[in-house]
Order: sequence, then C-alpha cells, then structure tokens
Amino acid sequence: MTELLIRNGTVFDPLNRIRGEKMDLAVRDGRIAESVSSKAKIIDASGMVVMPGGVDIHSHIAGSKVNSGRILRPEDHEKDVEERTSITRAGVGYSIPSTFTTGYRYSRMGYTTVFEPATPPLKTRHTHEELDQIPIIDKACFPLFGNNWFVMEYLKEGKLEECAAYIAWMLNATKGYAIKIVDPGGVEAWGWGRYLKRLDEEVPHFAITPREILRGLCKINKMLGMPHAIHVHTNNLGNPGNYLTTIETMDCVADLAGGGKPVIHITHVQFCGFTGNSWLNVGSGAPEIAEYVNKHDHVTVDPGQVVFGDTTTMTADGPFQFLLHKLSGNKWVNVDVEGETGAGIVPFRYRRSNYVNAVQWGIGLELMLLVKDPWKIYLTTDHPNAGPFTSYPKVITWLMSKDARGRVLARINKNARRRLDLPGIDREYTFEEIAIVTRAGTSKSLGLKKKGHLGVGADADIAVYSIDVSNIDPSRDYELVRKALANAAYTIKNGEIVVREGEIVATPTGTTYWVDPKVSNDLMQQTTASLSAKFEEYYTVRMANYPVEENYLESPTRIEAVAEV
Amino acid sequence: MSKLLNYNRERILAPVQRNNGEFKEIKFEDAVEKTASILANAKYPILYGWSLTSCEAMEIGVELAELVGGVVDNTTTTCHGPSILGVHDIGESTCTLGEVRHRADLVVYWGCNPVHAHPLHMSRYSVQSKGRFRKGRGDRKLIVVDVRKTDTAKQADHFIQVAPNQDYELLCALRAAVSMGELEEDFIAGVPAEKVEQIADLMINCEFGIIFYGLGLTMSAGKSRNIDAALSLVKELNNRTKFLIMPMRGHFNVTGANQVTAWQTGYPFAVDFSKEYPRYNPGDTSAIDILTREECDAALVVASDPISNFPVAASKHLSRVPLVTIDPHITPTTLTSDIVIPSSFVGIETAGTVYRMDGVPLLTRKLVEPPIGVKSDEEILSAILRRTRELKEVA
Amino acid sequence: MREIILTVKRTLNVPVECLEISPNSFAGKGLEQIRAMEVWEGNRRSRLEDVFEVKEEGGNPSDELTVRIVGDASRIRKIGCSMTEGSIAIEGNAGMYLGEQMSAGSITVSGDVGAWLGSRMKGGAIEVKGTAGDFVGSSYRGSTKGMKAGTIIVHGNAGTEVGCWMRNGTIRIKGSSGMFPGMHMNNGTIYIEKDCAGRAGAQMTGGRVIVGGYVPAILPSFNIEEVRERVKVGEEKIPGPFYVFTGDLNENGNGKLFINVAKNPHLKWCEEYLG
Repeated sequence: MTELLIRNGTVFDPLNRIRGEKMDLAVRDGRIAESVSSKAKIIDASGMVVMPGGVDIHSHIAGSKVNSGRILRPEDHEKDVEERTSITRAGVGYSIPSTFTTGYRYSRMGYTTVFEPATPPLKTRHTHEELDQIPIIDKACFPLFGNNWFVMEYLKEGKLEECAAYIAWMLNATKGYAIKIVDPGGVEAWGWGRYLKRLDEEVPHFAITPREILRGLCKINKMLGMPHAIHVHTNNLGNPGNYLTTIETMDCVADLAGGGKPVIHITHVQFCGFTGNSWLNVGSGAPEIAEYVNKHDHVTVDPGQVVFGDTTTMTADGPFQFLLHKLSGNKWVNVDVEGETGAGIVPFRYRRSNYVNAVQWGIGLELMLLVKDPWKIYLTTDHPNAGPFTSYPKVITWLMSKDARGRVLARINKNARRRLDLPGIDREYTFEEIAIVTRAGTSKSLGLKKKGHLGVGADADIAVYSIDVSNIDPSRDYELVRKALANAAYTIKNGEIVVREGEIVATPTGTTYWVDPKVSNDLMQQTTASLSAKFEEYYTVRMANYPVEENYLESPTRIEAVAEV
Repeated sequence: MSKLLNYNRERILAPVQRNNGEFKEIKFEDAVEKTASILANAKYPILYGWSLTSCEAMEIGVELAELVGGVVDNTTTTCHGPSILGVHDIGESTCTLGEVRHRADLVVYWGCNPVHAHPLHMSRYSVQSKGRFRKGRGDRKLIVVDVRKTDTAKQADHFIQVAPNQDYELLCALRAAVSMGELEEDFIAGVPAEKVEQIADLMINCEFGIIFYGLGLTMSAGKSRNIDAALSLVKELNNRTKFLIMPMRGHFNVTGANQVTAWQTGYPFAVDFSKEYPRYNPGDTSAIDILTREECDAALVVASDPISNFPVAASKHLSRVPLVTIDPHITPTTLTSDIVIPSSFVGIETAGTVYRMDGVPLLTRKLVEPPIGVKSDEEILSAILRRTRELKEVA
Repeated sequence: MREIILTVKRTLNVPVECLEISPNSFAGKGLEQIRAMEVWEGNRRSRLEDVFEVKEEGGNPSDELTVRIVGDASRIRKIGCSMTEGSIAIEGNAGMYLGEQMSAGSITVSGDVGAWLGSRMKGGAIEVKGTAGDFVGSSYRGSTKGMKAGTIIVHGNAGTEVGCWMRNGTIRIKGSSGMFPGMHMNNGTIYIEKDCAGRAGAQMTGGRVIVGGYVPAILPSFNIEEVRERVKVGEEKIPGPFYVFTGDLNENGNGKLFINVAKNPHLKWCEEYLG
C-alpha cells in the first residue's frame, strides 16, 4: 500500500496537544504511521497548515427530506452546476447538492467525515442509498426517536430496559449511529396539526411529556453505552423567547450527568436562542445559553450559524416548518412519517436588512465566541438550514477575525446591531481552536477514536491548507484564509490523495459507521416478542421487511457499544 | 401476488437483433457491443423507462446517460409529471400511508378509481382500514370526485360529478369556499354551489383529511395546474385543520425512478446531460416532447413499453431511430426495436430496492431463478456501461 | 453599422444551442473569432461555422452591431439570451428560449418561435410575426421570477401560460392564446387581442390580463368590479367596453381581468353583481 510523507507542515492536532508545530507526518496503509520507507511519496507542506480531515457533526446531506428538497427546488440547482470530468460525476449545488457533488465539495474543503443528523427510521434504507453514493467521505446517520410511538409507550409504562433494547434493535435495523430527538412529542402532536410549547405539556393520546421523553432517552443512551450523547433539536424552535426552553432542556437532564462525558448535545442553538416575546423585539439569548454551557459539563452545543443569502430549511420539525412557511410565504413541503416523526422543507432567504435575520446571524457567532471551552462547541450551519456547508470557510473567518465580523456588522440592520453584544466581543479564534471545533472536538463528541487526530494509528484523513502561519495573520488576512480553506492544497483520505489544489484527483468510497449496542439476549428476545405483536398494527410494512441488512450498505463499519442491560 | 401469476408469459429468452423485419438471436456480448456503439455514437440519445426495474439498475442508467451525453427520462413523463411540476411551485403537504390509516376521518379520491387501479388501497390504507384512532369505515367519510360514477364512487358518502376538464374550476371554487365562505355562481364545473360549499365544510371540519388523486386530474385539461390548484387547496386547508395530499402512482417503481434521478442529478425526471451537466425542463427535455420534435437520434428503453402509450408522433419517431430495448416481455416496443435484450423480473427473479407511492423504500427479494441466459437489468446495464466507457475513451 | 449575417447551412436533427448569438457577444470580435464560437449540437461541441455560414457587411468591429439570421433556426435554442444591446433580425423560425434573460436591445422574427420566448426577460423588445409556443415571458421551473421588464409582441397565436409568474413588462398577443395567461402573475400587462382558451389570471396576485376576444368562463375566485369603456396599454387606448374583474381572491390578489363585453355575451350574468 502507498506510503506518504507529509513534510514540514505546521501541524494542529489538538487531541494530541500539537499546537502549530512544524513536523513530518508519516502515512502507511491508510493510517498515520511512526515512520515510512524511502519509497514514500513526499508532499512538501512547508508553509502550510496541516490538520486532521474535517469532521462535520450535523449536516443534512442524505435521505427522504433532502431528496424532497431537491425535487422541490429545480431553481436552486439551475444556477450552480458541476460538469462531469473523467473521474467525477456531473451534479448540481447550491443549497441542496446532488450526492456526488456533496462528496466532492466537502473534500475540496478538507472535510473527510460528515454525519447526516436526522433520518426517519422507516425510510432509512433511502438514507443509506444516498450515503452510499456520496463519494470519498466517511459518513453516518442519526435515526429519529423523539416522537416514536414505541418509545413513548415504553417510557410511559416505565419500561426503561425494554425501551433500551428496542432502541438497540432499531439502531441495528437502521444501521444508525446515535439517538436523535427532534421536538420531542411535538411532531406527534403535529400529526394532528397541533403544537406543543412546553416541556411539561402532554402529547395528545400518549400522556407523556417532552421532559419525560428526553430524560428517558438520556438514561437509555447511557444504558446502551452509546458513543455520542443524545442529539437534541429542542421544542419550541423558532419562537421568540425560546432560549428559556433551551436552558430548560439542557437542565432537565443535568442530574443524569456523570461518567465524565456530556449526556446531551443541543444542536443549531441559534434557532432556539431567541429572547423577546415577539418578532419585533427578538434578541440574542446566546449570552445566557453560553453562561449555562460554561458552568455545566454535561452539555455540548453547535450554533447552526446563519449565512446571509438564499438557502433551504429542512428539518424533522414539521410544525416549525409550517410556521416558517406562513411567515415567509414561500412554498412548503411536509412529510409526516407513520409512528415515528415528520419533516418539513421551506426555501428561505436570510437578509442583512431584516432585523430578525440579522439578530439570528449574531446569535450563532455570539454563542461560538462566548462559550469559553472550544471542546464544548462545534462549527455548523445546520446545512442547509442556516446556510450551505460551502460557507464554512467564510464562517471560520468570522470566528478568527473581528474585522471580518465587523465588515458584515456594518451592513446589517442597525437595530439588530444595536441589540447584539457581538460588536463588543473581541475574541478571535486561533487555528488550534478552529481545529477543535471542526474536527478534534466533533470526533471526540462522536466517539470516533481514529478520527479528528493525527496520532499513530489514526485514520490518515488529513487536510493541508496553503496558509503560512509565519506570514499570515488570520485576524487581518482573512480573505486569504477563506480561500485557502475553501480549496485545500491536499486532502488525504485513508492515506490516498483525493484533492490537490482544490481539484478532485481520486474518488474512493468512504465507509458508513453504525453503532450496535449489545444488550443481553434475554432482554432482546423479550423485546422483539412484544415488538412483533404490535409492529404491523402500527406500521404499514412487515417487520421482516423493516431492517436494513448490513450487506445492503456499500462499506459498513460496525462499532459495538457495550450496554449495561 | 397477482403480479406473480402471469409474469412468465411471453418472455424473451435470448438477445435478438432485427434485420429486414426478422429477429435473429445474437450473443449477449454482441448485443452489448452493438448497444454500446449505438449509444456512444449518438448525438442526442434518450434512455427511457426505468419504472419497472430496481433502483440499483436505475443508478447505472443515470450514469450511462451521463456518459453518453443523453437524456434520461422515466414514465413520470406520461403520468405524474404534472404532479411534480405542481410541487415545484407550491410544495406538498403529505405523509406515509400509515398516517392515513391511523388518523384520517376524511378521504377524498379525485380522478382515480382505486377499486380497479389500486385494489388494496382502501382496505389497507384508507376508508376500510383499521388504524389506531379510527376503527373502521364508520369512523371515516369518503368523498369521490370524478367525471362519471365509478365503482369507487359507488362506495362514497358524497359523490361529486365534475364536468369533464373542469377540475381546475372546481378546485378553485373549493378553495374560495374554504377561505371565504360563500360562492357567487350557482354552478361550478357542473356542480351546484351548495354542494361545493358542503364539501368545503366537510374538509374544514374534519380532524385529518387527505386527497388521493390520479390521472383524472393530471391528464385532464390544465394538467400540472390542476395539481397546482389541488396542492394550493390543501395548503389553504392547513390553516384550519390537518390536511394532506398524495398522488396515486402506478408503474411499480416510478417513485424510485424519481428518487434515484433526483439524488444523483438534482432533478426527478427528464434530465439532459448533453452539455455534461444535468439540465431539466419538462416540455423541452422530456422524452415525449423530444421524440415529437424528432430531435433524438437513438434510444435505449429499459423496463417499459412506450410504443404502447406514447402519442403517435412520438412513437413513430422512436421506431425510426436505432432502438435497443431491455425487457422481460414481448411488447409492441420490443417488436419495433433493433436489438432486444431479455431481462429478469425485479421482485421475482432479482432482488432490488423499490419505492412505494408514499416514498417508503422496500427491498424486494428474489423468489425464483430467472430462465437460463436471462440476466438482470443491473448486469446488462453494467456490461453496456463498461463497454460504452471503453468506446468513449478511444474516441 | 456592422451587420453579422448567420445563414443556417444545413438541416439540423438534434437540438442546437449557442449561448453567444447576440450583438454584445459579437461586439469587438473579428469574423474568425465569431466563427470559432462554441456551439452545442446535441452532445457534440462544435463551432458556429459548423452550423452557420458567417458573413459580415459594412463597418468596423467597433461599430454598433446588428445580427441577421437567415434560414430555419427552429432547432436553435437561446438565440439572443442575456442580450444587452443591439438588434437581432431572424428571417425564418427560431427555437426555444429566444431572448431568455435579455435586458436590452431588440429581436424580430419573421416566422414562428418555440416555447419559453423571452423567459425571465429583464428589458428590451421582442417581436414575432408568426406564432409562439407555451410559456411566453415565464420563469424557470420552481422560481417565482418571471419576466421583469420589456415588451414582447407576438402577431400570431401563443400557447399556454403566457406570462407565467410575470413580474412586470408588457406581453401582447395579437392572435389567440392558450389557457392560463397570467398564471401566478404578480404585475405587468398581458393583452390578448383575440380569443383565450380560458382560466385567465389564474392565481394572479397583481397585474392585468386583457382579453379582446372570446373567453369561455371566468374563474370563480374573481369578482366583477365594473365595466370600463377602454383600457390603456402603453400609449394606446384599447376600446372596449370591458368587464373588469378583480382577483385571484384565493391568493388575496388585486390583479385585474379586462374582458371584452361584446365578444362574451355568455358573461352577461355577472352584470347583476355590479354595484
């Protein structure tokens, strides 16, 4: 197998406490090695930054709602096309790229692992079909559980262990990676066109509350020994004043903390970080939320940073998406999924001149800058909800340069500017911190032991960027930084060079990770028995046809979790 | 099961080539060679059909169309194309079929006749089914809208006989009745205003309503704008109650064809690769229109019988150009083809992924062996793709 | 004045597309450069001179430019797309997407044109002596951004959905039109001098659709407002009288339909609703 020697780069490997040291990296057989022979291909990384390949913890890239979004918006694709080449397939961007284009565009930015954060279990075979056709990157998906009928019933009846076994069965059936919760109980209410606003409001017909669902799944997550925390999109998303719901949600499992690992991850906090009580006086709840995160170790967050311009919102939060449709007047897709969840899609344009959008833009950045520990927060735009993933380089410059932020601030709605704390925040991220929030921290959060770092034995997923730290001051030269991050000098995937100067040169197939918690045989038998009795009552598919076989996936990697039950 | 009972009749068992009106058996390798050559040399080939095969085969088909710079299109173009065009403008409030079974207390069938076209629909998913919150027929109301009293209409609680080609007007009036209350006219589309207002009331006052619609709406005058009106009506109803809509899709895996094409190219059908990137504009890039304008110079048809159901002008041109068909059966299309390659049945002789009308993916299984010498679409297309690539590289 | 003359030199049997047949694209270029411009014939890249004989008459490369196209260009798409100046005269038919996204200048056609004439136009003028296909002045699929400014005149008949998602400008069809003129229209004027197959102004939110001839019915989501003696289109006062309807009320629209009274006796019933 090929050997590579990446020479003399300025390496940022936070998990191994390497903070911009000039050093060589050896690669053999797809892994970081101690050393290589003289036959190794040499990459001269002098004057370049070297980091582990990017690991994106939350990006909507594959599955039923993503594809419904594509079908909804031919006008989104028309303006952004990719011609085929002898090694790459044709495709389209812009906010909802086609599968091949998705893989190429992430690779060009030096990202090598991307996680699809919300898949309806009943349709997850579709998600895997798409993931398998995203080239180069490694991937995984999070099945949705927060509105699942079986889950709600088990938890209502206090059958925690059986519920845990059910989740284990479902992770196996969906080849999923983590427990995803979107608007717990709220999407079931939306099955009737209704809304849930509070954590202690009962779900119609199920007599269980969002709080109970969150706590139950949080306990189960621990019982199953899952590598990642429960990944939560809160109730009450998109409503003024909802920062309180976010804090309440983080707090409702605080007593379940322990074991030195976070127990809850709140995603795209910008959408649930509003103060105020109407659209006229909405403000940033980022300071309050950041304060909570700074004081508590059981929680991690990501901002879902807004980027001004046209994009597409798509979430499993059916009720929120309907409200957004009413607010914006834009076209709207809704897909409710029996017994499990829902989805909604609405095109949206974030405008600098719009007070609310400008505040939203500020919230994400304030959160990233006010949370002190970069290991607790990850860079996302909740692609494509707050902006396309191709905007990451731009967002990174906002983090690293007060001037870059200032240029945008100068042009946003002035009432929003007055309302935000952001103008007064001086903090500028370092390269090390960027490496944490885009790769080291996310890998750690996801429990991916061989990703996000460059220690011996790690997967040789490496990004080399044309940034000479001795010459470039990211605070001032942010345009150069942005360009360099948008087109990696080299992206290496499992030891193979896949991108050179922003061009794709190879298109290997990545792997799909999934987590298989091993519960006791007795418990599993008991659970599957009770499951089969009800399965065909709840679903319109046969239980035998529901699970996705491991050999259905092109290249699966099973990660076993050691369960306590 | 009914699909299984007759599948083995009129099979093609070996690749054939037509010369002077006569079909002669040829070797598989020769069939592949000639097909690859036809496609590689064509300036504007169409790769059409797809709906009766698996997603796995379709993926290869899209890649082949991209390689040869042609157009890939599927049977959406003949039936629910208008539905998709309506969605582009309005969006769609929909669900999986289980939601209907559990929750629906109002079901509308518009321009479709499930008693004949989807015989299990009503008992499995809609008015006669048993769900968590609706125990049976007594818990639900059925409204049927059609130009004549079909067998489905005979089971309705309310039958609306709409004047032919005036569905758009009726939908428009329903929407007006829902949002504004009363109508000025006495009759709309042949239906008395009081009846229209009554239906609007039923819709507003239900807990969970759904409109299932078919070709009666997509193919009557107005086409995609009929669907636009229906989607808009349902969107409006969501201001008052829970309401959804779903097209009744036939054609086995046409939904799968839309899904595969969309995730690979961004667009659900009628995708033109002639300029090396995907372009989409039904009316321009759709198979029937290209053929009617006589702008295609070669075609590959897979798992479909367009000669039987395309308009005459399109069929005529299709039979004039070099035509290769991959199909299990003898059909009017295979009889007009220059080369025919037999294939196996997905879901019987070959496993493969298919999509239900509501977007739920299912893996169909292999139950029996195909006849000796008959390969799957996947195998055949892979061989053609390989050979075409070789020919293109030399060129 | 410099004139570039493109003569279609052979029969075309697959779609042909050139994005650069416009005065602004040819401006400042020599004949050889123009001949070498990229053209797609189906999936084959070729040069303008493979499809057209390219000649020029008079003038220097820096003079104001007109383009003349001779022969049957019905398979040639996107002539005049994104045009910003000068004029194109087509002696014969033209293909789809004629003048798409043009913002200034003028195009005249002596024959018929295909669908999507003047799609997403932003200014300028197009005049077609023959017929036009569907979607005159429309948006692209899924987009609400139709024609924004400019004038389109079609002397013959036009197809369905004239002015679909129109935002402004004027479209004048001197013949008859298919169904749904002004579909989803937001602003602007559509004047159909002869008959209309129906459903005028469907789902419009603003703008005007004027029908000088017969229309089978008016949509139930429109209300009669008044009868007017005439209506102004540009500088011209078109004599009526016209029934004036407002709608589409389903979209909270305040668009207007002007329907010729004399040609539509079957609409007399709405007079009883006049205030």
